[in-house]
Amino acid sequence: MSLMINYVIATFTSPENIGTNPQSLFWLLPLAAAISIGYKATKLSEIKAGSFFKDVVGLFGSIVGFMAITALVLYAITWLATK
Amino acid sequence: MAKPRLSKNNHTLILLIVGLLGWLIPGAGYFFLNEKKRAIIIFVTLLLIFGAGLYIGSIGVIDPYGSWPWYIAQVMFSPLVMILGHYVSAGGFPVYGKPAEIGQIYTGIAGLLNLLCIIKSVYLAHLYRIETDGGQNVADD
Repeated sequence: MSLMINYVIATFTSPENIGTNPQSLFWLLPLAAAISIGYKATKLSEIKAGSFFKDVVGLFGSIVGFMAITALVLYAITWLATK
Repeated sequence: MAKPRLSKNNHTLILLIVGLLGWLIPGAGYFFLNEKKRAIIIFVTLLLIFGAGLYIGSIGVIDPYGSWPWYIAQVMFSPLVMILGHYVSAGGFPVYGKPAEIGQIYTGIAGLLNLLCIIKSVYLAHLYRIETDGGQNVADD
């Protein structure tokens, strides 16, 4: 049992291997999902599975969509400035 | 039949209890107000995102001295983070690069989301009182 506890603690004492590459941007997705769930859980007057899921998906889509548009605009500005 | 009426002191005490419970355990403030579904969703979501941050960046991302602005946000998750911060500052756990960045963002956002939940649960507790008293106390207080 103590071996298992030590193993679990050990997994939290050293960082994971994440490179600085475009794929690492996908780490924003779990965070955006958590923000959407957490925010909608406080915002809705009544929590019902169907409407809650719909609202969470809507907010998640808006966050990711807005960030994608921002990225495209910044990319376009960089391209125009450096061509 | 007359509805139970809370005194101003009791009301303040309840708001304080809701706030402190929400800080001690994410979602506990809502649980106290009998908003169980909301409490469970908040508890699971925030615990997962905070745990993920610690797993990705290591517990070294909780750094009261080296990155105190993030630490303030992380402490909003729970006072237990302060104990962890004390333990980490004595340990010298490795933390670097992209994982540290992601870990700090995840744990910091978890803390700030919990702050939002605490504020909303305290406000909900305040609204419950107004509903119980039929709006009388708004003018009284």
